[in-house]
Amino acid sequence: MSLTLERIEALAPDQASLSAARKLLKPSTWPTLAEGEGMVWGECQGSGATPYRVVVSEADAGYKCTCPSRKFPCKHSLALMWMRAEKSASFVSASVPEWVKDWLSRRRGAASAPAKTEEEGEQKPRPSIRRAATPEAEDDDDPKAEQRAAAALERNRLERETSVLAGLEDLDTWLSDQVQQGMANFVAQAAPACRTIAQRLVDAKASGLAGRLDALPTRLFTLPGPARPSTAIRELGQIHLISQAYRRVSELPEQLAADARQIMGWSVTREALLTDPDALRVNAKWRVFAVVSEAQPDRLRRVETWLWRETGADEASRCAVLIDFVPIATGAAVSGYLVGDRIEAELTFYRSTIPLRAQITNLKRGAEPSTEPLSLPGDTLVEAYARYECALAQLPWLGTFPLAFRSARVRRHGEQLFLHDDDGAFSLPLHSSQTSIAFPLASAGQIDGLGLWNGYEFTLAWAETQLGRWLGS
Amino acid sequence: MGRDATRKVAGLLNLKDLHTKVVPSLMAGTSKRPLPDALIHLSNSSSDGALELLSLTAQALRFERPSTPDSFLVEPEIKDERGILPDRLRRPLVRLLTAKNTTDHAARALARAFDRLRLRPHPFDLPLIDAFVRLHAEKLGPTAQHWADWQKTDAETQSYFDPELLDENNWSQATLSRRVAYLEQRRRNNPDSARALLESAWPNEEAEARFRLLQALQTGLSTADQAFLSTLEKDRAPRVRTLAAKFLARLGTGGENPALRECLERIKQVQSGLLRKRTSLQLELPANVKDQAAWRWVREAFNEVSLRELATAFQLTEEQLIEAASKDEALLLALAILATNERHLDLLELVVGHLPNAWERMSESGVDTIGLMTDSECQRWTEIVAGPYRKELPTNYHLWNWLHRVTDIVVPASVMSAVLDTELLTKVPERERGSAPWLEIMAALCPAPQRRELRTQLAEFDPALTVAPLALLDILDGMENETAHV
Repeated sequence: MSLTLERIEALAPDQASLSAARKLLKPSTWPTLAEGEGMVWGECQGSGATPYRVVVSEADAGYKCTCPSRKFPCKHSLALMWMRAEKSASFVSASVPEWVKDWLSRRRGAASAPAKTEEEGEQKPRPSIRRAATPEAEDDDDPKAEQRAAAALERNRLERETSVLAGLEDLDTWLSDQVQQGMANFVAQAAPACRTIAQRLVDAKASGLAGRLDALPTRLFTLPGPARPSTAIRELGQIHLISQAYRRVSELPEQLAADARQIMGWSVTREALLTDPDALRVNAKWRVFAVVSEAQPDRLRRVETWLWRETGADEASRCAVLIDFVPIATGAAVSGYLVGDRIEAELTFYRSTIPLRAQITNLKRGAEPSTEPLSLPGDTLVEAYARYECALAQLPWLGTFPLAFRSARVRRHGEQLFLHDDDGAFSLPLHSSQTSIAFPLASAGQIDGLGLWNGYEFTLAWAETQLGRWLGS
Repeated sequence: MGRDATRKVAGLLNLKDLHTKVVPSLMAGTSKRPLPDALIHLSNSSSDGALELLSLTAQALRFERPSTPDSFLVEPEIKDERGILPDRLRRPLVRLLTAKNTTDHAARALARAFDRLRLRPHPFDLPLIDAFVRLHAEKLGPTAQHWADWQKTDAETQSYFDPELLDENNWSQATLSRRVAYLEQRRRNNPDSARALLESAWPNEEAEARFRLLQALQTGLSTADQAFLSTLEKDRAPRVRTLAAKFLARLGTGGENPALRECLERIKQVQSGLLRKRTSLQLELPANVKDQAAWRWVREAFNEVSLRELATAFQLTEEQLIEAASKDEALLLALAILATNERHLDLLELVVGHLPNAWERMSESGVDTIGLMTDSECQRWTEIVAGPYRKELPTNYHLWNWLHRVTDIVVPASVMSAVLDTELLTKVPERERGSAPWLEIMAALCPAPQRRELRTQLAEFDPALTVAPLALLDILDGMENETAHV
């Protein structure tokens, strides 16, 4: 069965989906478009940091997209089918990539969408390609309207600044109360206490700090009892530090000021980032070395795709992280990339003293699986940790930080696993969730690898061993 | 935070003060344990300095390096000479073993293949297929056994080595089933030395181990074992005493077997024939045992007797005993179970000649093991019980499931030929036809040379149902064809 417009109309869940798909028909939106073995696939740059991966089986119009849409098929799948049906874009012949094979293997035995009955079809007007193909009338440019919008934006910004500062006053009072009552007492009632102040900070539009406080009880309760009070000191102390830094943001160096504003909750839109002439841009080949998915208290799932730069000599920006937020309700929990994938792209980094978070601004070559080893620097674990300490000195509220190391061993002490540097007599505790999966590494001898240090535990993401590659996810 | 105040505090604060003066105050609460006045430098009039000290302490703690344990566990030495599963089969294996709704047939077939081909799963995959590894660790090699023992609070085994390397010096350190298999193997070659080995280890064995190791004496049982078996009549474990008595009875030297007496009370002996008197035997079931329960009762009642004991009691040979029971289905079932337990496959064949539905009856009786048979004996046993069904194989899934469970081997080629020639899979009742268990069990039972034909037949089914069976066949082919890397 070949893809036809009629077939696509039949598949589309509604007219709005087709209209949305029409906007994606520009080949420039698709860094990758390829075909092979009866499949067509591509990568579509959506609003998130990572492009969505879309695959369509020409034989039966089966489809799969990594976007979080709850419409099936989504606009990306429809757009890919549409381009294929109209031959409006060129599809490069290529061997089927691993992610498409993966989908195929799970799918074996194509099941096309059930045909709708005529009765269902009559209940509402069928989506129409012709209607969708008619561009909507575009709004006329109105300079006055733009001015009004800009003024409104500025007014909102000022209101928010005032509101945040007022919220920080409340935070100071709350923190003073916790210090007076003691951390042992705070740990005992951390959940309600943090919830209360987090809500106040949300009201004050300091959503970043609110989220940090909201997540604190969970972090505390994942630790053993005796470690909780000292962790509470570290976390609350940092929150006060951030609060003070934000108040004096004008006195801080430019990059650190940007960090302070971002952590407080001031977001930078993708458009603003891309148009920032001073933003750091790095054009290179990157390897995906970790994908971290974490549910947040605000019902969003934070999906981090960690990249390791394979080309270029400078030591700065060896790593980058693409962060996507998807509603938990959609069930989407994975990145569009698989660990081990290689991409060639220009990344634009958000302003920061330690630039890590980035967006793909120009994908030159889509993801390809690679079995080649990572080109890791020669640092031992101690040396890698020293880099972390340098970074921490520059950015006092530094969060997760990547560490690349050589010649370390996984060792056991009781039930806890450690990444151990024999020469430096230095160890990092492995994340408790890795106790099982990293256990075989205890018998694997020396390893080279890469992982994420959150200040408390090390999540090993990638290891080259004498038994081959080990992946943490 | 005021820069001047911060500098002053930082200048006064050292790590020792931090831990002895500041942290205790922050832990207990400054209202109960005030911060040291010397460290308080107000950054502004509205601050009491406590929050600044909190931040400085927090930052100082962040710069403290994680503590390194004084010592680490020494990992046990693992002598694993098996080849590692080829990389290209790793993902399919993990996917198959972790898929939802798969039966254990695939896992059994894979464990057998690992054992037979002397392969082992990649160590990094062990956590991903944890349930499979724990269930079949003994067939997956020492590394897998180490993994399976790792989270046990009282791991029985301290060292891990390939069972191929077992000898009389290290056999007592292996897992129990490996030890039983080793002892049984030695009994085949040299019964006396095997018994001597068992005797030397006997005082240190647990009851379960004693019972299972004693079962191995069934192979090559002779009067030379009598002295040792006689010492077991006073064993602490009743199971061991009963088993020893059973063996002694088989040697014709034991005392009265109470189980035999109870069986004999229910067997009626009748003489028939005019010219030549023939003995026929009938088993009288208890009045309260009916229908399906009858077969279970038979198994339980005859579990503790031997064929020879029974034959001797009627002054018959074992062949005559079977002939005499030929008109009584329940008694034939009892004899089939006894012949199976004692690995008298020639006698089993005689029984099945009179009891063509022995497969069905044994399954219904709840037999859950066919003892210490070798693979070739298992194959022969399968051929015997499946023989009468050759023209019309059962379409009852539970029978095949039972067969696979008790034999844990692929079926003989003749049985699989019958499956394929009669296109059994297409004759299965509609409600079960094409269901995943049916197709999976056939893939698991299929000998290697017949996989191609099975694939052809599987192609007739909905592809969604053949994902697991085809994956299993692919992996088994791959394991056999690929040269494993070490």
